[in-house]
Amino acid sequence: MSLLLDRLFDGITNGCVYAIMALALVIVFRGSGTINFAQGELALFTTYIAWWLTTLGAPIWAGLVVSAVAGLVLGAGIERTLIRPVRRRNDMAVLIVCLGLFTALNALAGLLWNSETKVMPSIFPNGLDDYVAIGGARLYFDGLGVWLVVLVVVALMFLLFNRTRLGLHMRAVANAPESAALSGVRTGRVLMFGWAVSAAIGAVAGVLVTPLSPQQLGLQTMFPILIYASAAALFGGLDSPIGAVVGGLVLGVLQQLIMGYVGFIGDTLPQTAALTIIVAVLVVRPTGLFGTRQLERV
Amino acid sequence: MPAPFVLTRGTWPHRLLLLAIAALAVLALLWASGLAQFRVSQLTSVFIYAIAISGLNLATGYTGLLSIGHSAFFGLGAYTTGVLVMRYNWDPLATIAPAVALCFAVGFLIGLPALRIRGLYLALVTLAVGVAFPELVRRFSSLTGGARGLVIRRRLLNPPPWSGFGPGERTQWLFWLSAVTLGAVLLLVHLLVRSRAGLAMVATRDNEIAAAASGVRVATVKTSVFGLSGAVTGLAGCLFAMYLAALSPDGSFTLLKSIEFITGLVIGGAATRLGPVVGAFAVVYIPYLTSSLNPSNVSQGQLSGVLFGVVLILIIFLMPDGVVGGLSRLSGRLVQLRPARVNTPTPPAPEENNHEASPLPGGRDDRDLTARGVQ
Amino acid sequence: MSGPQRSGGDPVSLLQVEGLVAGYGPAQVLHGVDLTVGEGEVVVVLGANGAGKTTLMRAIAGLLPSRGTIAFAGHRLGNRRAELVVRAGISLVPQGRGTFTALTVLENLRVGAAVRTDRDGVAADIEHWFGVFPVLRDRAKQVAGTLSGGEQQMLAVARALMSRPRLLLCDEISLGLAPKVVAGLFEVLGRINAESGTALLLVEQNAELALALAGRAYLLEVGRVAGQGAAGEFRDNDAVRRAYLGY
Repeated sequence: MSLLLDRLFDGITNGCVYAIMALALVIVFRGSGTINFAQGELALFTTYIAWWLTTLGAPIWAGLVVSAVAGLVLGAGIERTLIRPVRRRNDMAVLIVCLGLFTALNALAGLLWNSETKVMPSIFPNGLDDYVAIGGARLYFDGLGVWLVVLVVVALMFLLFNRTRLGLHMRAVANAPESAALSGVRTGRVLMFGWAVSAAIGAVAGVLVTPLSPQQLGLQTMFPILIYASAAALFGGLDSPIGAVVGGLVLGVLQQLIMGYVGFIGDTLPQTAALTIIVAVLVVRPTGLFGTRQLERV
Repeated sequence: MPAPFVLTRGTWPHRLLLLAIAALAVLALLWASGLAQFRVSQLTSVFIYAIAISGLNLATGYTGLLSIGHSAFFGLGAYTTGVLVMRYNWDPLATIAPAVALCFAVGFLIGLPALRIRGLYLALVTLAVGVAFPELVRRFSSLTGGARGLVIRRRLLNPPPWSGFGPGERTQWLFWLSAVTLGAVLLLVHLLVRSRAGLAMVATRDNEIAAAASGVRVATVKTSVFGLSGAVTGLAGCLFAMYLAALSPDGSFTLLKSIEFITGLVIGGAATRLGPVVGAFAVVYIPYLTSSLNPSNVSQGQLSGVLFGVVLILIIFLMPDGVVGGLSRLSGRLVQLRPARVNTPTPPAPEENNHEASPLPGGRDDRDLTARGVQ
Repeated sequence: MSGPQRSGGDPVSLLQVEGLVAGYGPAQVLHGVDLTVGEGEVVVVLGANGAGKTTLMRAIAGLLPSRGTIAFAGHRLGNRRAELVVRAGISLVPQGRGTFTALTVLENLRVGAAVRTDRDGVAADIEHWFGVFPVLRDRAKQVAGTLSGGEQQMLAVARALMSRPRLLLCDEISLGLAPKVVAGLFEVLGRINAESGTALLLVEQNAELALALAGRAYLLEVGRVAGQGAAGEFRDNDAVRRAYLGY
């Protein structure tokens, strides 16, 4: 029983990270109609910046803040210079630009900080004794910390979308971009902001997740997270923020349970398992479980 | 601007020109085969990549089905050859048929979801395949050698007696084998694209609903094209296995290889017959050049990674038709190919840009495709 | 019922379009359109399907690039994007309504006020439109996608007017609506024009009602202006009647 709870806690912690990454993907998708394949590597890059600051002596929470700001700037810059000019042309061009970014950002991180794995300091106390016992299982503080931060991020996003003018305009652009323009909404700026926020969330996710994983911070760290987040976002339907969050949590927990209890798959096929879930969902419901939008412009 | 010089297909000037080009190509190959071993080997890898990218071109360029998972076909072909040769003592050339058939089957299966889900979603499915392949190879290590890799004994890869090459001339043998195979693939693509099937492919890419309404069997097109596309890239994989003689799941069969293929396709020019060849040169020589520019080998892989990403983005911005697409537009001002029959409508003028209609950067096919009006 | 009359070519026209050429890629639809709308005027554009009426609207509203001149209140609009055209004072109710189907009625109206900074003014305007279209008040918190066609059309008109434009463009607002609803809408448009002096440029299939409201009309054929004149003339013209009014 306690083992089950342990796995559950791990699953929720991972799931929280997938959830906000998925949320970041959904924000961009709703506005710009494309999946930002470079999301993971952008988060990786900003996480490297946070790590680098700690090597200069800064506390990790300062690194978190700086990397989030870096995310804002990079996200906005990418949308403005690379995505917007190409958006009009066709969807595949945007996807290919994202692929180019994916490759370039990852390699750039490797160039600037070399490819050795770095140890990532944690924001929360993560010693062996830093846990609270629940039902015989151990809920570590750093896991709990992740839950709290993610909760705050999700709450902030909810407030942004539903209680602010900017959020209203973002939803308008996502729903009917032409009508938004006809109403005077500056669609370009709204989209830019969407990419900025998305990158900032990714930055936070990166700083949260890297101290947890045994592999710490390396060039390969964020790619699996991108895969799982994409699965979660699709699970939710790609244009539903709630779906993304729920999808992330469910995926995180399912993943731990499958890895723990289904021996055949064990821990050797985590990505395949996640992606099989994607494919299965898509074949059954091409718009995802919560989604409303067909992905093809007729 | 002087009027372009007009050539009509099927006439003697046209045939002579083709003959001259073919002769030049053979001469170039003969000259190249006399270069240093290292260069010959490098060119062989260019040919192999060109075949792989041609395969991708069929699905992504001509039919508009973006695939980020073609590394899986490449790997499937390579490992089929590797496993059959090493574990079951097959003759290397004989492994090509089953490898290609297997890749066709898998490609066909992947095409099935394409019927229900499109564009971005399909890209994600192909991503899944591309990511799953290395994991599966590692998982079934008893068959594939897993993460340790699969080494093919060189002796088993010696040229067959009928080829005229001796046991020590493996490099030459592979050079010519790849060159001839590439020629065959290019011919196959050429014939396919200019056939009714090719028309169906482009119609499906440009406007699926209109295509279906015009009687194109879209489902058949998508699944067959994916199968064929996978088969051709798988064929490249077989040659690759013979070329490299050492396979590892994380070496050449990961997502990064898929991105290299796409980069090559975009650089060369999607939906052009020669684009994959140009793209293959770029994909092979960019890392090579970066390593010669940057003496410290430590970050060489990273440097070429940055270069690839930057080049990919630049090409989309500056030359969305790719090198071949751009060149064919320029050459259209000098020489224009007319179709064989006199009473068919003249093709659109070279200055016209049909970017609006193509869903892929570089969607311009040969201007002399008479049914270009299908938009 | 028609607004203040002005003859075409009056130098103080609110909207002046000259030699407008626009289309979609290689297929040009408009081949040099000249058109004016005076301050507070109601003008109708008639024409068969494919004549270019919607293209004309979209070009003026800034949704399409175009060549030629579009001048509004004395300033050339150039090739401004739609967001900026709205700020100049032109608002379009697009064909198909263009309501934000995922947002509530109230949110739709708020988005319509995107260019405005006076919160109290916006709130007052929303109240005003709820008064004009009571059914919208009933459905204020409802998601717009669940409204009927007529209700969405009312919402679209109200939303377009939230930016307090000097010129309202309406593209086929009667399409798919019951006659009673259409009559009600036109009556509201007439009131708006009379009370606040907002000029109207209408594209309509339902020529009869539109001509009753309008002062002047243009006939668009294959991307060119084939005729223009007072609305009454059009109604009395047998050829036009047979071709466009059906009797």
